[in-house]
Amino acid sequence: MSTPSVVPAPGTRVAAATQPAGPRRQDDVFRRQQARLGWAFSAPALLVIAAVTIFPIIYAVVMSVSNVSVTGSGISLSGLTASNYSIMVHAAQWRYALFFTVLYTVITVAVEVVLGTCIALVLERLAAGRGWMMALLLVPWSLITVINAQLWGYIYNPTYGIADTIFSHLGLGTPVILGTRVPAIIALMVADIWKTTPFVAIIVLAGLVMLPQDLYEAAEVDGATGWTTFWRITFPLLRPTIALAVLFRVLQAFGLFDLPFVLTNGGPGYSTQSLAVLAYNAMFRDLEFGPGAAVAVSTALLVVLGCVAFLKVFRAQVGRQG
Amino acid sequence: MHNRPRHGWRKVFNGVYLSTLVVALFIAFPLYWMVASAFKTRANVGASPPQYFPNPISTQNFHDAFSTYTFGRYIINSLLVALVATALVLVLGTLAGYALGRLPMRGSFAILVLLLMISVFPPIAVVLPLYALLRDIGWLNSYQALIIPYTAFYLPFAIWILRNYFLAIPHEMEESARIDGASPLRTVWSIILPQAWPGLFTAGIFTFTACWTEFLMALSFNVVNDYRTIPVGIALFGGQFITPYGTLFAASVVAVVPIAVLVFAFRRQVVSGLTAGAVKG
Repeated sequence: MSTPSVVPAPGTRVAAATQPAGPRRQDDVFRRQQARLGWAFSAPALLVIAAVTIFPIIYAVVMSVSNVSVTGSGISLSGLTASNYSIMVHAAQWRYALFFTVLYTVITVAVEVVLGTCIALVLERLAAGRGWMMALLLVPWSLITVINAQLWGYIYNPTYGIADTIFSHLGLGTPVILGTRVPAIIALMVADIWKTTPFVAIIVLAGLVMLPQDLYEAAEVDGATGWTTFWRITFPLLRPTIALAVLFRVLQAFGLFDLPFVLTNGGPGYSTQSLAVLAYNAMFRDLEFGPGAAVAVSTALLVVLGCVAFLKVFRAQVGRQG
Repeated sequence: MHNRPRHGWRKVFNGVYLSTLVVALFIAFPLYWMVASAFKTRANVGASPPQYFPNPISTQNFHDAFSTYTFGRYIINSLLVALVATALVLVLGTLAGYALGRLPMRGSFAILVLLLMISVFPPIAVVLPLYALLRDIGWLNSYQALIIPYTAFYLPFAIWILRNYFLAIPHEMEESARIDGASPLRTVWSIILPQAWPGLFTAGIFTFTACWTEFLMALSFNVVNDYRTIPVGIALFGGQFITPYGTLFAASVVAVVPIAVLVFAFRRQVVSGLTAGAVKG
């Protein structure tokens, strides 16, 4: 086919200025037709998304700055107020939830990325059985988080959990794992790390496999050790892949809900209460709709801001690398 | 040093295999523990010190999950919600992904960025407004209370995956179809779709898995037992004080196996979907 492509890739402009007037006008008409077709095709999807996500997001924001009262027929809003946010900021539970969520996100994501990268580096050298290992890695990823939470709840059970048996075999006594604050937080992180490290490993492995082999051959000729090769070649080339895995994981970890809700129910006290669990409890247990909406909206805002900041930094870094 | 030849016993007992073994055991042990506990008798599930192999092997837990508890109901609910939502996502996502990937729409890039933002948006922020909305139209405790939100929330990611696949299809066949007078819908159906089926599979598996595992909305919108899905059923298993772990794990094994088989059979598509962003970003 010698006809040039009529449909450009997104982001490119069709250079039609130098063409004679006749075909150009025809081209314009055709393009307009195609664009109209595009809107017609995407309208159903975009309408559903707008109705179910964008409209409620706006409603949530409005709710978080309104006096919300519960009436017999539902929720009624009256008058703007900043009191929901003021209640939230002055609540010790919110401050602790913010601290806990940030701490949890930083530690789990750091551990998962380091462990996941190590696993990927090992699997890349695995001559036989890599397919089976990949399949095994996918099982925790596809496991329902609620099941994961119940499974670890059984493992940590104070009367018949296997964790206590292992601890006493190691001569560490039998700690009350989910009943004390720091052990409960660590236990929650272990359950998360078990489920999510495989996901990071799969992403990093896919990046590793695509690295150019000739660089490694050159490094070998130059007599570079394994450690040097990793820090000078593998890591810099892998950085975009790792950055993406970090972004995915941070977004997920910050919205943490299922795992603490089922495994610890935010306890003991509120020591494992994440922002999402706090918002849920405020809205659906205590029926504090205004403050609950404020917590939910500010959490979402933090996620979006974090996402934008990350992309800015990441893009700047990639830009500097050329 | 990358592929240094190894000899004798070092071929098998080297660091790579040992580390792989450690990783495999670390991942497999909790899974084994779940399956083993599902086959223990009720007394042995609570044995201390724990029993490492179920003895005697009992299928009582599986029986209980379906008779004493209404786990069969949860499976039907989850299947129905996940299948209908996945079908809707694939139909709407194919059309939108095709339009955003291949048709000259002004502002398509802005829409794609907005979609990406929505797909990372934490659902906790919309649960309450959606609850109020569903309540107003009398949809609480129904299948559509989950099908419609799942469709909307998992569409953006599916549109991205499908768009990336559609972008890679050459334009020539599409043009000849147009010259032959095929309608746009027919072109999508008979030219684009046959070439994009790996993308459809990937988007389908991701959507289905997401619906199958979703907890927050299912917990909030459907509080009547008849409309509970598997995650909610498993989270609320038993009573306030006693968790019947044996029955719970029997139910979990039944819930995990279909997804594990699906993911195993289509692991290529799953891995390519997981890494789609990494590769193209």
